[in-house]
Amino acid sequence: MSRGRRIRSEAVAAWHSFLRRRTAVFFTFFFPVILVVIFGALVRTQPTDGGLFAEPAAYYIPGYLATVVLFTPLSRVGSEIARHRDDNRFEKLATTPLSRTEWLVAHTAVNTVIIGLASLLILGLVVLLTDASIPITGSSALLVPFIVLAVILFCGFGAVLGRLADSQDGVIAASNTIALPLLFLSDTFISLDQLPGWFGPLVELSPLTYFARGVRTLTYGPAAGDPYLGNLLILAALAVVFFVAGAYAIPRTD
Amino acid sequence: MNEAVVATGVGKTYGDTVALDGVDLTVAEGEVFGLIGPNGAGKTTLIRALTGTTPVTGDIGIFGQEPTAVDSERIGLLPQSFSPPARLTAREMIDYYAGLYDDARDTDAVLADVGLTETADSWYETLSGGQQRRVCVGTALVNDPDLLFLDEPTTGIDPVGRRALWELLESLAAGGTTVVLTSHSMAEVQRLSDRVGLLQDGQLVAVGTPDDLIADHGGRSRLVIGTDASDAAASALTAADFTATASPGEVVVDGVSPVDIGEAVDVLSDADISYDSLTWTEPSLEDVYLQLTGESFEGAMTPGASAITEGEAEGPTERAAAGGDQ
Repeated sequence: MSRGRRIRSEAVAAWHSFLRRRTAVFFTFFFPVILVVIFGALVRTQPTDGGLFAEPAAYYIPGYLATVVLFTPLSRVGSEIARHRDDNRFEKLATTPLSRTEWLVAHTAVNTVIIGLASLLILGLVVLLTDASIPITGSSALLVPFIVLAVILFCGFGAVLGRLADSQDGVIAASNTIALPLLFLSDTFISLDQLPGWFGPLVELSPLTYFARGVRTLTYGPAAGDPYLGNLLILAALAVVFFVAGAYAIPRTD
Repeated sequence: MNEAVVATGVGKTYGDTVALDGVDLTVAEGEVFGLIGPNGAGKTTLIRALTGTTPVTGDIGIFGQEPTAVDSERIGLLPQSFSPPARLTAREMIDYYAGLYDDARDTDAVLADVGLTETADSWYETLSGGQQRRVCVGTALVNDPDLLFLDEPTTGIDPVGRRALWELLESLAAGGTTVVLTSHSMAEVQRLSDRVGLLQDGQLVAVGTPDDLIADHGGRSRLVIGTDASDAAASALTAADFTATASPGEVVVDGVSPVDIGEAVDVLSDADISYDSLTWTEPSLEDVYLQLTGESFEGAMTPGASAITEGEAEGPTERAAAGGDQ
């Protein structure tokens, strides 16, 4: 009961802090929106042979979702850790009953809500602005665990980044440097057959690949061809590893 | 009496810089212990060592346990340069930190303690610097701690707020709370502390009650006489067995008790020497600080007068009299 009270208290404070930074709220939702508008509605996909955006619109839904699932936790959790460290908040928290794991659970919960809302917005815009249709089946509900697990994974990753970077600027630079190649080279916007053969194993190393493949199977239909449960299990295992690493990385002392 | 804090041979280095060098310290339960010292002396590092937020060498016991093992429900901390989430209200801030404890105090009671009932629903970032610091103090009080660490708690707080906070700390101490505080305000430390430790270059160079430290290191009381005839005044006073030193525009008479002031005035009157002012000062903790640290404010002080540090107008006992014209 007391653990739940601590996590709730930390999460409520983090939620209020986020909601009251209007520019942060605006750009958290504007970034994926502008991406869908530019690539889904203005550029439009060209289902011909070769080139970028050569697949049907629904093929790129995992990529659009990846923008929030990847960038938001990396930059938000990383920046929050840098901010906490700069403001001596971890020094204060270290003398309270709140553990590092509880802190990360609370901030992951906040990110899950934010990214869940942003994902709904993306899915709605994709359907509205492109000719994509998302099949609704019994397994569509598995989108939720895919998104939640990916958020957990990248919150853990963000915590590690926040620990390693020595400032908020450093966190943002590092998260962009890591997230941008991951976004495009994880079977999201660019399919494997468009990449050099030697690049294949690297794509398999990206945690985002398993999110993208699983989500594509659920939103693009059987044409995607990947078993979503296998991808979900791999994503779950990676989420555990990254979350534990992130919780351990959160500073408690100097 | 049981000991709340026992530290033995505590050491800490940052690269080649020695922050703490074999510090031994005990603080009894219910005691208020003040840490003073120049910037960089190691005060904050010692607070961090005692709260287990920085690894150190040596042994530290908090209520008989390692700092990281002690029940955190019993500890309160206000770190130096602490800045909580800026866009929470004062009430939300207290609620937030209270929510981290199983047995927290009532939020309204904490807000009343730190004098923020009226501004409880203002965002932290819109509060004045002093009000913000009072919110931060409040976050250290939410769990009604047995041992409270306060690293420069009154920095930026105006005199009224500071006095209110002093009264709050005095009431906490009266209720049995052990307090370890650091401050650059000697008046604050002198008023609040049962014992004081002076840190310099990572070493605890003096520990004692304020009165003992003043008696041992503070020097004697002084009478400063503002006069254009300083040489003549010094000669007359010396002839009357006073220890007087002349400098342009004034004479400093050393070791003058309050009852001797009238006699000194009579000496000046008998010698037909006029004076502009009489200022009597007794030694304070600030004199101890200056004596032991070897610091001074050359050119900014008159001999014998105490330096006034930031926000410390109520500091050393000092009485000035209007000048007389004999």
